[in-house]
Amino acid sequence: MVNEQEKQKFGEMLNDFTLQQVRTGTKLSLSQTLAGKKGAVVVFWSGVCSHCVRYDPFLNGFEKRHPELSLLAVASRHGETLDSIESAVVERKIHFPMVYDPGGKVAAEWCTQQTPRAFLMDANRTLLYRGAIDNFKYPEDPEFVGYLEPAIDQFLKGEPITRTETASYGCAIQSVYYILPRAL
Amino acid sequence: MNPSSNLFSRLSSALLETGLVAAQTALGAAQRTVEQISGQTRGPAEPIPVDGPTDMDNAVSDFANRVARICRYTPLDVSQISAASGEIIEAARRSFSFVDIKDAHYLGFPAQLAISVGSLVTQSALRGLAAWEVMGSSRMPLLARDFVEMFTEFPVFIGLEYREAIEKARQRVRAVPGDHKTRLELGQMLVKCGLYPDAERELLQVPDNSFFYPTAIYEASIALYRAGRYESSARAGVEALNADPSNERARMNLWLTAQKLGGYPKFVPPTHRMEVVAGYDKPRVQFEDIAHKIGLDKTAANRGTAIFDYDNDGYLDIAIATAHGGISLYHNNGDGTFTDVSVGSGLDGCVEAFAITVGDYNNDGLADIFVTRFGFYAGHGHLYRNNGDGTFTDVTAEAGLSVWGPAFAASFVDYDNDGFLDLYIPNNLGSLFERKVPNRLFHNNGNGTFTEVTEQTGIQTIWPSIGGAWADYNNDGHQGLFVSNGLGRSQLYRNNGDGTFTDVSKEAGVDDLLFGSPVFWWDYDNDGWLDIAQCSWSDHEDVIYTYRHNEGPPDGSPMRVYHNNRNGTFTQVQHDIGLTGCYGTMSANFGDFNNDGLLDLALGNGSPKMDRMEPMIILENQDGVFHNTTFSAGLPLTGKSHGVNLADLFGDGRLSVIVAAGGAYPGDLLTTNVFYPTTLAGNYLNVRLDGVVSNRSAIGARVALESEGRSQFRQVSGGSNFGCLPLEQHFGLAGATTVQSLEIRWPSGLVQRFENLPVNTTIRFTEGEPGWKDVYVKHSAAVASHH
Repeated sequence: MVNEQEKQKFGEMLNDFTLQQVRTGTKLSLSQTLAGKKGAVVVFWSGVCSHCVRYDPFLNGFEKRHPELSLLAVASRHGETLDSIESAVVERKIHFPMVYDPGGKVAAEWCTQQTPRAFLMDANRTLLYRGAIDNFKYPEDPEFVGYLEPAIDQFLKGEPITRTETASYGCAIQSVYYILPRAL
Repeated sequence: MNPSSNLFSRLSSALLETGLVAAQTALGAAQRTVEQISGQTRGPAEPIPVDGPTDMDNAVSDFANRVARICRYTPLDVSQISAASGEIIEAARRSFSFVDIKDAHYLGFPAQLAISVGSLVTQSALRGLAAWEVMGSSRMPLLARDFVEMFTEFPVFIGLEYREAIEKARQRVRAVPGDHKTRLELGQMLVKCGLYPDAERELLQVPDNSFFYPTAIYEASIALYRAGRYESSARAGVEALNADPSNERARMNLWLTAQKLGGYPKFVPPTHRMEVVAGYDKPRVQFEDIAHKIGLDKTAANRGTAIFDYDNDGYLDIAIATAHGGISLYHNNGDGTFTDVSVGSGLDGCVEAFAITVGDYNNDGLADIFVTRFGFYAGHGHLYRNNGDGTFTDVTAEAGLSVWGPAFAASFVDYDNDGFLDLYIPNNLGSLFERKVPNRLFHNNGNGTFTEVTEQTGIQTIWPSIGGAWADYNNDGHQGLFVSNGLGRSQLYRNNGDGTFTDVSKEAGVDDLLFGSPVFWWDYDNDGWLDIAQCSWSDHEDVIYTYRHNEGPPDGSPMRVYHNNRNGTFTQVQHDIGLTGCYGTMSANFGDFNNDGLLDLALGNGSPKMDRMEPMIILENQDGVFHNTTFSAGLPLTGKSHGVNLADLFGDGRLSVIVAAGGAYPGDLLTTNVFYPTTLAGNYLNVRLDGVVSNRSAIGARVALESEGRSQFRQVSGGSNFGCLPLEQHFGLAGATTVQSLEIRWPSGLVQRFENLPVNTTIRFTEGEPGWKDVYVKHSAAVASHH
């Protein structure tokens, strides 16, 4: 496990993956989404995670803000089905691209234990930024600090990225239950 | 505490303890008998019940907790009864799924069930009585309400099942828009999830003529505060106090909001304001938060911290545990910055970690860690072996440590002085209805494996334990154990030196029945004998009283400081040294951050509740009396805090206060702070020890320092709470420019004495070797002046 994780380093190429798309059911690879784009943002995501709910408007507005980048959400939480994810997507009027990662296999390869966790890469899938979208404050909070957006701005301007890594926080992709397989 | 109440509480604690022991052991023995008669077998060790309970006692607890949760999430309405009964039947099916009714082994089922229910009811009732005894009747209703709320909810929020609970509440208010109770609960759940705008929308729909309005508008003020909308929060806070002038929690939060706004806004009437007097004593050292400058501003539901040099480059690195996320490992670059090296370390995969404890269990010169997980919810701990290349390997199973329980802070200790670190794991209660999981002691076999020795050592307790602290308190060369119990009697175990322990709490005078929280040993008065600091968790109202009066209420429960009388007995002295405040302490540590030769305190406070944004505090020891200098020393209001730690991060003699903040609910996110002294308040000497015959980490070693007529005394600790202090021992020397002598008493029994030591440096001693070595080879003034 440690050896696998060692593969993911800044300035090196991220693993490609091909997964089934939510809604259409067709296969989609990360490299396909990068075609004709300057780079991409991958966000590990869950249909039950309350933090992901917070970023619905942020992610829905991503394509409009950054037409030169692609966005791909990867629904990785253990126990979520394509049906449960689709119902969350419909209910929350989510229209950003999403693929289904059964059992969180890609998440594990990408050293991701919680949702949401964002990765910024260039067109060659070179890792540029890894971590939280912001410091989990609301934008109107005086203590709000964005992480992903400043990294994107610097990348698009061709500047070095000041902060390449932050600790991500959110909901665990795999909740480990002892005693209670289900609480309710 | 006056003598009569002390007598009463001792009497009660003895009676309660007898009852609890009977409920656990006598009824447990009856249970075993039925099992034997019916031919059921138990394994040698209790397996981790990943798929649900595997024995009657756990099944009964599980079922009771499930029913409590179902009741909690079911609206009080006749129409809901049939749905709820269906859920209860389903809960029973899940809890008792291990029972095969066709199997003849379960013929004794009715008898087992009766015994198990009986013992659980008895234990729960007695623990309720203990709570009553400790908190008093006036505090009990609020406490009971908060605890039932938290304990029924934790599994739901840890397991991410809040979506179902929220959906259920949403459907209910859609169907019955006048059900304001459910709407209030919906709003509260949304606050706990960090969805503040949604919470605000629901809470503000509760009409002001509703019985639930005062609580709803108060919760709205919390949602707005959390969203950073301080002025709106203050307006809601004013409304909350208009609706219920007795809501002291609203008054306190309005004060916190006012601090964010630079003072009370004009619209806050004088009746709603409060004057805070605690935290403004004159400080001798000022702090600046440098977390964002050095890359340690981790925002999360942070918990335990451990500060240790994992790569032996001399600089102290930091690990921070987090609810729902993995452990973050930060490498100290030695240039005043840290780099997040979690990914690839093997620690990033350890989600839901609670407290981290450091010790070199295999004596290979690399600091290893033991991590407890889940805390208030049963999980199992992990032992990570440090591979020396920046990675850690989970060796829990091969080390024989795969045990589960609601463990809090574990400790490394060499209790038998064989040169190998043993491991102590205290367990709390993991849910509302639960039997005590034993505190466990594991003996290190010296070959990478451990053997449980709990029973033969005699350190069992019936009380829910928060932490244990080990020390050679009677200077006999053996490590004794003080156990701090949450809602229980404190316990001191004397190490008999033959692998057994004797509970000497009563004769030592340390058996108070209290809501104990973190504990550590320290020599606060520099007399060469280790004293006890045991924190206490006080409810919100007592804390608010403390903020207004700079001391706790007369019947409150401040932290206990037990002075070591050098004859096996202790005397409570907290009232004599200024430690009279009541705080909701969840984490505590000590260190001489003003470098005056006297140990100071840092307390991390709060509770899991979202409205309990109780700041951490520092208590500066000024000439033997502690002063709360928190706000005047420049510590901002950071909210609840878990992993309080103190360390010299830059090798410059300034002891930073490191605070990992945050709480258990998904929405309870706060940012880690590093409060760095803006000046070097006095000279210092940092000392590190490498054991050779003794355990390599030298845990248990004692160091006595003499400088210009003043003695100081330290013991290297193997962890006792959410903040695992560095193994490095920091001595503040005030104006002294020479250190006459340093005496090291190694756990092996070797005593070494050194004379004429330097000041303002960090040096390392190796057991049995003459002289010392500098730790920071290239240490330059540039590093110290970096900030």
